[in-house]
Amino acid sequence: MDPLLEQLLAGFVDESQEIYERVTRSLMELEKSPAQGPSFDELARGLHTLKGSAATLGLEELADFAHRMEDVILPLRGSAKPLPATVADAVLKSLDVWMARLRAIAAKGELPELGPSFVLLEKVKPAGAGTPKKKNGAGKNGKGRTAPETPAASVPPPPEVAPAQAPATSPAEPAPAPAAPDEAQGDSWRVTTRQVIALLHEVERLREVRLRVEERRRELEKAILQLDRLGIQAETAEARALLLGVRRSLGADGEEAADIVASMEEGLKAISTVPVRTVLDPLRRAVRDLCKATGKQARLAVVGAEVSLDRRVIEQLRGPLIHLVRNAVDHGLEMPDVREARGKHPEGALTIRVEQQGNMLFIEVGDDGAGLDLEQIREAALRRALVAPEELANMSIQQLHQLIFRPGFSTRTEATEFSGRGVGLDVVRNQIQALQGHVEVQSVAGQGARFVLTLPADLGSSPVLVVRCGEHQLGVPMAAVESSRAARSKDLRVGRSRVQLDHREQLIPVQDLGAVVGLRQPEVPADGQPLLILQAQGRRLALSVDEVLGDRELVIRPLPADVRELPAYQGAATLARGELVLILRPDFLVSSERRAESGLASTRRALVVDDSLTARALHRTALETGGYLVHTASNGRQALEQLRHSAYDVMVCDIGMDEMDGYELTAAVRQRAETDSMPILLVSARDSDSDRQRGMAVGADGFLTKKECVSGRLLSEVSTVIARRKGAA
Amino acid sequence: MKLRARELDGFTPEVEELLVQRAERVRRKPAETDEENVLWVAEFPVGEETYALPLETLRAAVPLKMVTAVPLSPSHVIGILRFQGQIVTALSLASLLGGRGWREDPAVLLVVDPGFGRLVALDCERIPKPTGLPHALVEEARARSTSAISEITLPGMRQVNLLDLLRLMDRRHAQEKR
Repeated sequence: MDPLLEQLLAGFVDESQEIYERVTRSLMELEKSPAQGPSFDELARGLHTLKGSAATLGLEELADFAHRMEDVILPLRGSAKPLPATVADAVLKSLDVWMARLRAIAAKGELPELGPSFVLLEKVKPAGAGTPKKKNGAGKNGKGRTAPETPAASVPPPPEVAPAQAPATSPAEPAPAPAAPDEAQGDSWRVTTRQVIALLHEVERLREVRLRVEERRRELEKAILQLDRLGIQAETAEARALLLGVRRSLGADGEEAADIVASMEEGLKAISTVPVRTVLDPLRRAVRDLCKATGKQARLAVVGAEVSLDRRVIEQLRGPLIHLVRNAVDHGLEMPDVREARGKHPEGALTIRVEQQGNMLFIEVGDDGAGLDLEQIREAALRRALVAPEELANMSIQQLHQLIFRPGFSTRTEATEFSGRGVGLDVVRNQIQALQGHVEVQSVAGQGARFVLTLPADLGSSPVLVVRCGEHQLGVPMAAVESSRAARSKDLRVGRSRVQLDHREQLIPVQDLGAVVGLRQPEVPADGQPLLILQAQGRRLALSVDEVLGDRELVIRPLPADVRELPAYQGAATLARGELVLILRPDFLVSSERRAESGLASTRRALVVDDSLTARALHRTALETGGYLVHTASNGRQALEQLRHSAYDVMVCDIGMDEMDGYELTAAVRQRAETDSMPILLVSARDSDSDRQRGMAVGADGFLTKKECVSGRLLSEVSTVIARRKGAA
Repeated sequence: MKLRARELDGFTPEVEELLVQRAERVRRKPAETDEENVLWVAEFPVGEETYALPLETLRAAVPLKMVTAVPLSPSHVIGILRFQGQIVTALSLASLLGGRGWREDPAVLLVVDPGFGRLVALDCERIPKPTGLPHALVEEARARSTSAISEITLPGMRQVNLLDLLRLMDRRHAQEKR
């Protein structure tokens, strides 16, 4: 193929895809309303443009094919009745073949047959409609090839064609849209996806830098305030004036940088994103076709179709969304008579809701059908040997729901055209995971099911409330924070297993963030301790934190694959100094009460105190192998704080730590009545008799060097010190 | 006339010693560093043992700081950190190896590319040193090995455990699934 033509063909495929989508939408609208008005004009214009553009590129058979579709459609213009379903079906199917053929030509692949489509169109063609146009009557640029029988006056010219670029055959003949030779015209450039992605990443970095500048300004503000508090106004006047100047400049620079970032993001969005509608609109067709095939009735409502998404994401979402929608119709919705018997409208409601919060994207596909059938899921899992019967018996409802994402899972015993092959939701999950996102399912028997896809969006930032819990900083999306307040004991209802907060005449459960993320035993909030009132998934929770550090605009990034599956986190974001902060998932937080209730209370507990992250990880590995629930502290002060609230069966403690070393900590622990008999094992990189003797002298029960800390040895030593204490008692 | 080494007068004993060592290394080079016969590795200690990983998998050695711990993560996960704009997981090598003792608390993270398309960081007691392992010994050890570690015995009975990162990570995934 001529290289220039090949280049034009690529553009024509994209252009045709857009027209194909518009024509499909119009056809589906005209099935339900009179064959006239803007929808009919759109349909006629679209077919005409396909014909003309194909002819311009010398694609005779496609021009002829579009002409045949026109022959079926145009005679129906002005009818007070909707398009007959047979006509709509035939043209929709023909359009599919038309696009497939064009794509095959562009990809130099195997061409689909046109014969069956011609037969189909011939069958539904109204009597007296035009005949197929001659194949040899065309000039090189398509002039003279458009069908003379086209009611030209009634078809407005394609809006995208400028008069100078659209030489028409005759004044009455609307000009076919040429395949736009953008490069040749010099008003656009061809850039690769890779180049655009590289730019996107640079803008992301720039946004982070901008956020850091803002953070520096705040720090400077704090420094100025501190200087003010020192009360040495005269001596620091010059320095303060300088700092105030720098603060002003930083503020102005930050604002300018924000403007640049916003403008670059806007520009890049225009280049790299398309409305999510482009992937949602074809779903209407899928719903329509599936309903016709299954005898069901459904109406698809889309909310948020105008949200613009990265083209790559759109492409990747197409398959999963089609699958979820087909699933909803095929598995979720009941037959009309069944729905009526259950008091529902015979037409099922399918809803797709797209929402972007900051740089996170949420897509929800819901239906008001029967919901997931747990019994069927259990049977299918057993039938397909996906889990052992005893494991199945112990599964929670959430775990049973997760089974539908297993490879090979299907509740159908026989494969149909639409389902039952066991290929599906696992593919959906894999594709969403490939986009660094995840998928969840929620279902209520008899009321319906909804699948929620959460994905990172490339551009934008999210408001996050940063809080402290022990030595950890964690982020809570502001969207979930209803309010914050200080705890007051008179508002707390402390029961044996739960704490509730009397908040605005409502009792809401209270959870300790430290316990929720496994850092410590649950603690009842102290007077004045900050409480965040969170709301998510219709549930509310008062979350006690150690300190509220402030709200920030942060770019939330997906976590690496090794930790992405942790349900507690939405992602991570970079703070001003370059450190990462984990962003919690509100739905995980609000459901923490139920998890706490189902937790094991009888587990043996160990406290590991070490200033080395890796040493803590290693001790934890060994102790968890031995069945211990492990909490950690990075210094002596923190360990004492943990011990004030919780009891432990053993403490494994490093010696060489800053502030308070292991000897001092051991001595402090022994002085407290609650912990004076707690087994303590000292661990050190040092290996000398004097170290051992000093450890024993301050009250340790055992001593191990780090090189001896192979897991088996650590566990046996822990058992020994525990036994020794028991023996002593 | 017999050629004699230049007199080393005027240097301190330390510098003299250094120069003599360098000369020794240069003399040894052809026998031990033949590019085609050695696999270049990064060698480092884990407790009392010596481990190595192919140099081609090593992207960087960075100080073990600015690592954010991830509560609720598996115990072999030390945390996450930023590396060249990416978020990377830091893993405890000793823990991955099934619980090894160590001499010094690790102070270095080795950022490696195990070959599955993303980077991970492994903790390490000291900055590794590059060294060459004879290909023949490597191949022999790999053929013998059934795990992620190939035990290579070098002349002088020094033992180096060569890590196969892909297998090490695979084993970890398998353990997690269990």
